[in-house]
This record gives sequence, C-alpha cells and structure tokens, in this order.
Amino acid sequence: MSAFREGLAEIFEIPPAEIGPDFSLIDNNWDSLAIVSVIALVDECENLMLDGPALAKCETVADIEALIAKARGD
Amino acid sequence: MMRTARLRAISSFLPDAVLSNDTLADLYPGWSAEKILEKTGVRERRIAAPGETAADLAYGAALKLFAEAGVEPGEIDFLLFCTQAPDYILPTTACLLQARLGLRQDCGALDFNLGCSGFVYGLALAKGLIESRAANRVLLLTADTYSRFIHPGDKSVRTLFGDGAAASLIEAVETDRVMIGPFVFGTDGRGASNLMVPTGAARRARDAETAAETTDESGNVRSLDNLYMNGGAIVAFTLRAVPAAIDKLLVTAGLSLDDIDLFVFHQASAFILDKLRGKIGIPPERFVVELETCGNTVSSTIPIALERQVGQPTGDRLAMLVGFGVGYSWAAACVRL
Repeated sequence: MSAFREGLAEIFEIPPAEIGPDFSLIDNNWDSLAIVSVIALVDECENLMLDGPALAKCETVADIEALIAKARGD
Repeated sequence: MMRTARLRAISSFLPDAVLSNDTLADLYPGWSAEKILEKTGVRERRIAAPGETAADLAYGAALKLFAEAGVEPGEIDFLLFCTQAPDYILPTTACLLQARLGLRQDCGALDFNLGCSGFVYGLALAKGLIESRAANRVLLLTADTYSRFIHPGDKSVRTLFGDGAAASLIEAVETDRVMIGPFVFGTDGRGASNLMVPTGAARRARDAETAAETTDESGNVRSLDNLYMNGGAIVAFTLRAVPAAIDKLLVTAGLSLDDIDLFVFHQASAFILDKLRGKIGIPPERFVVELETCGNTVSSTIPIALERQVGQPTGDRLAMLVGFGVGYSWAAACVRL
C-alpha cells in the first residue's frame, strides 16, 4: 500500500484496504475539505501540486492517480 | 549603536459574540463540532455585533494598548490601519481613528488594504517610517470583520474566520542589533479571484443580480456579494509560496531554521499550519498555533498569537513571522521579540 493510498484512507476515514482504483470519491464526501486534503497529500507524497478544479472533477481514485501521472509528465 | 525600530507592545481586542462549533454543527448536516475542530483547529470564533465595524474593534485594541503599555495617545506620531473592511469608501478610516483616539494633528495616518500578509507589511512600513526618521512611534492597527462578507450557508469559510483586531506599538530604539527585519515580500495577483468579495467596490456595484444565491457542489451557499474562497487553490498557493519565502528569508538573513526560536505564521487553519510545519521541518515546540478560540482573524492572527502565546516583546527571542493569503500576497520577516 503506497503512502498516497494510506493518506487517502485517512482522509476518507476508512480502512486502507478499501482504497482501490475504483473507490468512488463522489459517494464518500468528496467536498472542498477532502479536495484540499488530497492536494496537500499529493504535495507531501509526490512533491506535485495538483490543480484544484481538475481534482474536483475526479470521481474515483484512478482518476486522481491519472491526474498525478499527468502532472508528473508520465 | 544605531537607530532602529522595535516592536514594543501588542494588545488584541475581540468582539463579544461567540459562534461555536456546536452552533455550526446544527446548521451543517454531516459536520460534527468535533470534526470542525479537528479539520480547522477552531472551536469558536468571535463575531462583530450589527453596526460594529473593523474600526470599532481597532479602536478597542488601541485603547487597550494605551492602558497596558502605558502609552499616551499624544506620543503616537504615525497611525497605520490595515483592514479590508473600511468604514467608508472615503474618507480614510485611519483619519477617523486619529480623531477618535485623540492622536495629535501632526500625526500621519493611512489605511492599507491587505489581508493575511498585512501585519508583516505593517511592520515593514513602520520600520521604514522610523528608520527614515519620519516617525518615532508608530501605532499599527489591524482589524477585520470577514463575518460581514460570509454567507451563513457557506461552511467552507464560516468555520474558519473570526472577527478581531490588534494594536501594536513600534518605536525607535538605539541599539547595536537589528530588531525588525530582514523582510521578504511576494505578490501574485493571478490568484486574486481565488479569495475574493467580487462586488461592493468600484469594479462591480451590488444589485439584485449579484445578490442571487447559488449552491456549489459541496453544498455551500453564497452570492457574488459574499466572500468566496477556492480552498484547493489557496492550499496549493500556500504550500508553494510559503516554504520558498522562508528559504529566501533565511538566505537573506544568513540564518538556518535552527537559529530561529519561534515560528509564528498567519493562523489560516490548523490543517494548513500542520502541512506547512511538516513540509518545512519545524519542530512543534517552536511553532505557534493559536486559533482555537478566535479562528482566522485575517490581518490580526499573528499579533494575537504573539500576545497570547509569546507574551510582550523583551527582545531576547528571534522569531520568524510569515503572513500569506488574499491577493495573493505574502511577507515574511525576522523579528526580535
């Protein structure tokens, strides 16, 4: 389990095992507070600053990971 | 020995009304009082009474400073007033405060409009006035009433901000060491729309159209007449700009993090303070957090934190003060406290 996914579990207050690519953000309080928490988490784990509006449009963990890959230039 | 400026005394003043997390939790489904405290670091904030303005709070802080520091109004020869909620479009609120406080008529007075960076900017202005011999004693007043701009249905900002004011006395002293400074400043107006009250000044007047309420995807209600904060953008800006400003200040001052006794940042929220502290690598025992009973009071968070947690300046401790936010505007300084 990556530090990123462990951090997500903490933000959504669920066991880390439940965080997979298909985990639905929109069914789990994907509000402004969760978004700022993920921005800080990605900065901490990946040294990358995600764009808030693009992050807000993410619906699943896979979407966030795709955004990270894009920001990283993969 | 040289003539330099020092911060001599600070007094803060908060309005009487308390807005607690219990009250907010009743209004916002899914948010408990404990969750608000955990996420923001704020248990309660103070709210200005109807008709009570930032200038009224600043007036209260100034009277308290005069009493506590043993200073007479006639000893002040420059008044700086930092607010984003002036009494009028014109005249300058500092002129009204000069008369109300009984300051001399040969006292300079001006307003400056900055938010969370305002206190550090005020110290820089005061230092410039003192060290250029334009003034000997500067009264720096910071006051804001963001509650006036906040829609009651916008939990993203209502949970964070509180109203408040602080009065700080900066005066000339003959000494062999610098007491205030060096400074670094930063500005990025491209971020203006991410923390903004879009109407009510010259660019856009308030009307029925601007008063129309909308609900965002997080369920927060506001109109164009209210404060809007893009939390994600502000967090991203802060995590980028603040560590860089601190690095620059340390290089400018020829110091390392270990040389600084105390770090007193703008008290934006417990969340962002924790992230900044971790990212920069500051030990918790040297990092001041003070917003549980007053919230984010914008331009007054740093002086309130200093007064409550550090006490009155003695000149023995070296602190780093960092303000950041609306504008975007940021400023950092080393100050002997």
